[in-house]
Amino acid sequence: MRILLTLALVSTACATLAQVPMPTPPQSKPVLITGATLHVGNGTVVPNAAVAFDKGRLTYAGPAAGFTADKGGYETIDATGQQLYPGLILPNTTLGLTEVESIRATVDEEEVGMLNPNVRALIAYNTDSDILPTVRINGVLLAQPTPRGGLLAGQSSVVQLDAWNWQDAVVRADDGQHLTWPAMVFRNNPNEDAAALDKRQKARETQLRDLEQLFGEANAYRQLPAGRKENLRLASLAGIFDGSKTLYLHADYGKEIIEAVRFAKRLGAQKVAVVGARDAWMVLDFLKQNDVSVVVSRIHALPRRDADDYDQPYKLPAQLQAAGVRFCLDYQGDQETAGSRNLAFIAGTAVNFGLTKEQALTAVTLTPAQIMGVDKDYGTLETGKSATLVLSKGDLLDMRTNAVSRAFIDGRSISLDSKQTYLEKKFRSKYGQ
Amino acid sequence: MKNSYQPLPLVAVLAMLGTAAAAQPGTFPRNGVYDQRPGVFAFTHATLFTDYKTKISDATLLIRDGKVVAAGPAGAVKIPAGAVVQDVRGKFIYPGFVDVYTSYGVPEIPAAPRQGRRAGPQFDSQKTGAYSWNQAIHPEVNAAEQFKINNDQATAYRALGFGAVLTQQADGIMRGTAALVSLNTNRREQEVMLLERAASGLSFDKGSSTQDYPGSLMGSIALLRQTYLDAQWNQRSPGRERNLSLQALSQQKALPAIFQVSDKLSALRADKLGDEAGQQYIIKGRGDEYQRLDDLKKTGAAFVLPLNFPDAYDVADVYDALRIPLEDLKHWELAPANAARLSQAGVPFVLTTADLKDKKKFLPNLRKAGQYGLSETAALQALTDTPARLLRAQDRIGALKPGMEANFIVCSAHLLADDNVLLDNWVQGERYQLSTVPADYRGVYSLNIGSQPEGRFLIQGKPEAPELKIVPTAGDTLRGNLTVTSDLATVVFGPKSKKKPEAGAAPAAEGSVRLSGYYTQEGRVFQGDGLLADGTPVKWRAARLEEATRAAKRDSAKVVPPPVLGNVIFPFAAYGRAAVPSQQPTLIKNATVWTSEAAGKLENTDVLLENGKITKIGKNLSLPKGGRSIDGTGKHLAPGIIDEHSHLAISGGVNEGTQAVTSEVRIGDVVDNEDVGIYRDLAGGVVAAQLLHGSANPIGGQSALVKMRWGATPEDMKIGEAPGFIKFALGENVKQSNWGELNVLRFPQTRMGTEQVFVDAFTRAKEYEQEWKAWNKLGKGKQKKGEAPRRDLELEALVEILNRQRFITCHSYVQSEINMLLNVADRLGFKVNTFTHILEGYKVADKMKAHGANASTFSDWWAYKNEVKDAIPYNAAIMTRAGLNVAINSDDAEMSRRLNQEAAKTVKYGGLTEEEALRLVTINPAKMLHLDARMGSIKEGKDADVVLWSDNPLSIYAHPEYTFVDGREMFSLAADAALRADMQKERQRLVQAMLTAKQGGAPTQAAPGKARGLWHCDTIGEEKELAK
Repeated sequence: MRILLTLALVSTACATLAQVPMPTPPQSKPVLITGATLHVGNGTVVPNAAVAFDKGRLTYAGPAAGFTADKGGYETIDATGQQLYPGLILPNTTLGLTEVESIRATVDEEEVGMLNPNVRALIAYNTDSDILPTVRINGVLLAQPTPRGGLLAGQSSVVQLDAWNWQDAVVRADDGQHLTWPAMVFRNNPNEDAAALDKRQKARETQLRDLEQLFGEANAYRQLPAGRKENLRLASLAGIFDGSKTLYLHADYGKEIIEAVRFAKRLGAQKVAVVGARDAWMVLDFLKQNDVSVVVSRIHALPRRDADDYDQPYKLPAQLQAAGVRFCLDYQGDQETAGSRNLAFIAGTAVNFGLTKEQALTAVTLTPAQIMGVDKDYGTLETGKSATLVLSKGDLLDMRTNAVSRAFIDGRSISLDSKQTYLEKKFRSKYGQ
Repeated sequence: MKNSYQPLPLVAVLAMLGTAAAAQPGTFPRNGVYDQRPGVFAFTHATLFTDYKTKISDATLLIRDGKVVAAGPAGAVKIPAGAVVQDVRGKFIYPGFVDVYTSYGVPEIPAAPRQGRRAGPQFDSQKTGAYSWNQAIHPEVNAAEQFKINNDQATAYRALGFGAVLTQQADGIMRGTAALVSLNTNRREQEVMLLERAASGLSFDKGSSTQDYPGSLMGSIALLRQTYLDAQWNQRSPGRERNLSLQALSQQKALPAIFQVSDKLSALRADKLGDEAGQQYIIKGRGDEYQRLDDLKKTGAAFVLPLNFPDAYDVADVYDALRIPLEDLKHWELAPANAARLSQAGVPFVLTTADLKDKKKFLPNLRKAGQYGLSETAALQALTDTPARLLRAQDRIGALKPGMEANFIVCSAHLLADDNVLLDNWVQGERYQLSTVPADYRGVYSLNIGSQPEGRFLIQGKPEAPELKIVPTAGDTLRGNLTVTSDLATVVFGPKSKKKPEAGAAPAAEGSVRLSGYYTQEGRVFQGDGLLADGTPVKWRAARLEEATRAAKRDSAKVVPPPVLGNVIFPFAAYGRAAVPSQQPTLIKNATVWTSEAAGKLENTDVLLENGKITKIGKNLSLPKGGRSIDGTGKHLAPGIIDEHSHLAISGGVNEGTQAVTSEVRIGDVVDNEDVGIYRDLAGGVVAAQLLHGSANPIGGQSALVKMRWGATPEDMKIGEAPGFIKFALGENVKQSNWGELNVLRFPQTRMGTEQVFVDAFTRAKEYEQEWKAWNKLGKGKQKKGEAPRRDLELEALVEILNRQRFITCHSYVQSEINMLLNVADRLGFKVNTFTHILEGYKVADKMKAHGANASTFSDWWAYKNEVKDAIPYNAAIMTRAGLNVAINSDDAEMSRRLNQEAAKTVKYGGLTEEEALRLVTINPAKMLHLDARMGSIKEGKDADVVLWSDNPLSIYAHPEYTFVDGREMFSLAADAALRADMQKERQRLVQAMLTAKQGGAPTQAAPGKARGLWHCDTIGEEKELAK
């Protein structure tokens, strides 16, 4: 009988759940969450907290004792024993740009050519991706779809993950340009001779000259009077010179990081951040002295050299923290689109290798918001900011305890269902589990 | 492992007689008058080595007609009338050198470009003729048929002291026969050829073959193994196939076989193959043999060692230098000691000029090997006696005994002396002059010039570059310039000041003095005429008063102290150790023990590890003598993790996907014990893994089950008595759907075809088994008359599966194909032991359960290709609840070291208990690998493969503090810190040594890249592909 009932439930659910869940309409009623341990995102932890929000904005976030308003008008959620966090923010991702990695038709992350500063990831961001709901249920609520490849890959945007379409999803359009710094030339294998090395070195020098030329002309172009002949490439770079767009420098090797940052600053980029930065441990002082923010690519990675410490990738966040460098964590790498639901656990590993839990949380909430320029609204749970938050039955950063019970984006309670939970229910009922 | 020195077989003796006859004027027409000379030479008063260990002072060597007639003490050799006598007093005569690894006079064949999956397939050989099906198997090639005397090459070899070389066409896997030729260029091919079939050549490299198979190192090994069997079959049943390659192979079975390998691991592989084939190969190595000396000694093989010592690396930049792997830094230092170490260990070896880009480095490098401990006797043996014996030509070359070829070198000093100069190289009784001894004029002379007061005339420096000083009776010592050619001397010396006269000042009163004259040995006097600076003609005379001062002599014979060298570490890689950790009894006290047994989780419990086993589990256990205890308070002891699906530690490719069925290839042939991934796995709590073939074809290769015995040999990493496994695969990889438009020809291209591959393969396997059963039933008499079936290693592996002696791990994704294979298996009577990946296992868990299959899956991978669109992270939990034995695996070197976390996800996704979750990476994979009787849980009597975690092992906050394998502490935080410090120190020492070398003028090279691949299921060839 129970099986039959479940089957009936499943079959009625099929029609809706087989699809990406419907986005939730704007918050219509104030919500009050009580009893949870509040992790503000800036290092502060408030046990037995109250968090209230209305029309998508936090109206209170602090100790329960301090919440004195009348609870009558609120939908109240008793979250005693649960943990409350800002929605996690996933920087530098292909989420929404790629559906199935091996099927070219479903991949929109890399435009042809080397210099594409004018292309925009935002318009390819697919709100109907089957992957999005599976990422949300682990606490990731904001993301930065980012183009890949070439030298100048194009522009990223910041989106929230519960939307009807990309216009609806946008949090900050075209927040930055992405420059893949040409890798320094080393021998690829013991058989590579000096001539081949030299050829690659020359090719790299040409690329750097082209870039320098482009940046110089773009900086001049933006000062031309109206009526100029329109040039999409040059026009799209204006933002990095007036500070309205961040120039993200994708580089891993220590010397490349120094080279890239100095290049960008010399040519007039106002805001720069380094992405990847797997060897940032080599240049900690440089990063600190130049006030460069870092987006550390997936630390669940192998050390770059055989003799590197086995835990070098794992401990990089703690090294950056100790050096006082602002950093956040991303999930770039193999199988990143579907795998990005593990962002919280990346932060967990950083705790295992030296960060405090709150420092690690900051690296997936506040600092990415700061680096992407959305920290006025997102990244911490403080009065006045967006009610974009996650409630988990246990520690969100540990897969052993991560169990999201509710999630809100701009005050909207979002669905935690996905194609995968649908298939789980369908086949569990097949076996009567 | 038999002795490689063999008595000279009759065949070889006959062959020798044949060629000896050909050395006579023979069959050739002549243009002009005959110029046959007596060719009798006597070398007297020599220091003569009649062989590498027999030195005769004041000896006479007598040769005639290109052969040695006599060699012995002056009194014992009678010089016949008509001999040309050469007094070689003070000089050394050695037997001419022999190089067994050359392609002298044989056309070079360029290797085919490696194209991987970017080119279309080529299934068949492109060679015409009734030869092997495989283009890389060409034992029918005979160097003797291709050989043409090459003056330039011969001159280069002779300049190094060689008198004879073995030459072969060094291309392909079975390369054919090599010819032994002398380096005489004044005669014809027929006359210089000493043995036309002296050896055969082999390698694992398919060279110029453009055919797909073999596409991996294990494929090369399998091909060799099968080809040896095929040759036997072909010999027994010649009527079945007229196969010229197999015929040739059978004919050369008795020849010495020289196997070229790329490194010491492949040397071990080649020897193992040779043991199976009944061949003791001579192994041409890379020069890294010292890194596995004990194991290579056990092979019983003789080694052919190159002397190409790497240049120092450019280590000027702190960070760029980090790119250079530790093993490369160390090899730079240790390579020159290789020959010495083999010699000291008693491993027979010869030296070759092969692999040296600049062959002129051979003699300097030989001397360098001497400085690193190679004795002159050993060096000489390796260049003369050993190569001659290896080629069974010790009666013709390699020594100077009556009847042997008159191949010898005349040197100015003893062989490894710094100032030794090779003067003459005599080949088959013909002289090739290499250089002359510079006369030594050094000494102190009285100097008289005209009527000037007597001064001194000092000749110092080296004999070949004398330095002149003039010491007048009064005034400063002057430097002069002396050149002497054929005792004719020219001297110039001038005023001391090198300053130009200041502008306007009067020109210097003195210019240069120029003297010309000649030297007479008898009086040891220079004399002649000259002109003073002002043009006054003078007579001059310089008479020797004494020989060079002692200091000058000492300078020219400076002894270089033997270098101080770093340790050889095991493995020879980053994080290698000087010795593998011991099995010291270890008591882990007061830990939370996750048993993965019915006992569950035990709090405050002690576990004792002794002799590689878990011997006691309990409270307050006492520590045995000699043991040590580890405080486990607050920590968690868990069974070591077993990764059911790994592609770590594999050399030369993970896929032999060139054919649909490749059950003959074996990962066990190509285990790479130096992959740093092994150490990293240990740091992640992994103690064992199934190393699987990839998923490029429906029936892949055989697995290796290994423990992470970091530092052990590849063979010793394997789990003893582990059952055999094999990889099968289904779906997109098998049908090559993500391989581009060129790869649309290999069957199957659909799931429909995939089924037929399995049905066909097992149908053939059954017939094969029947065929052999029928044959084995026949009486001996009938067997004698009949023809035995051909042994087919591909089918034998499938027969093992049918007989439950080998177990399948099948790469699989979607339910249709899983059902298909279950169906085929049930129909044809075999079991699918494990479905791996099995991301749609949750859809067919009931059918898998009915069949008895295990499931080994990923925790949360999906959406990386079309066939994983329906993958869900609840899969492991649903299958577990459906009653299947389920494991979580990695298929990935990075995830492998976090498998505890992947297991933990099944608590979150699907609600397994924590203990159930840990079982997914411990006892459950042990069960599906049939290793659970000894591994996978903490139980008395089981292998001491345990991990002490800092926290609950399912927590992201847990990391291993200790990892034990067989009771050995293979990883611990403290040991890791010590290894890092040691490595840092060693690196710093070597970097400083390289900087010093560079300052000393040594050439340097740019930091090399690392060529190790990270394999995944569908990695083809050496490409670095990442999709799963």
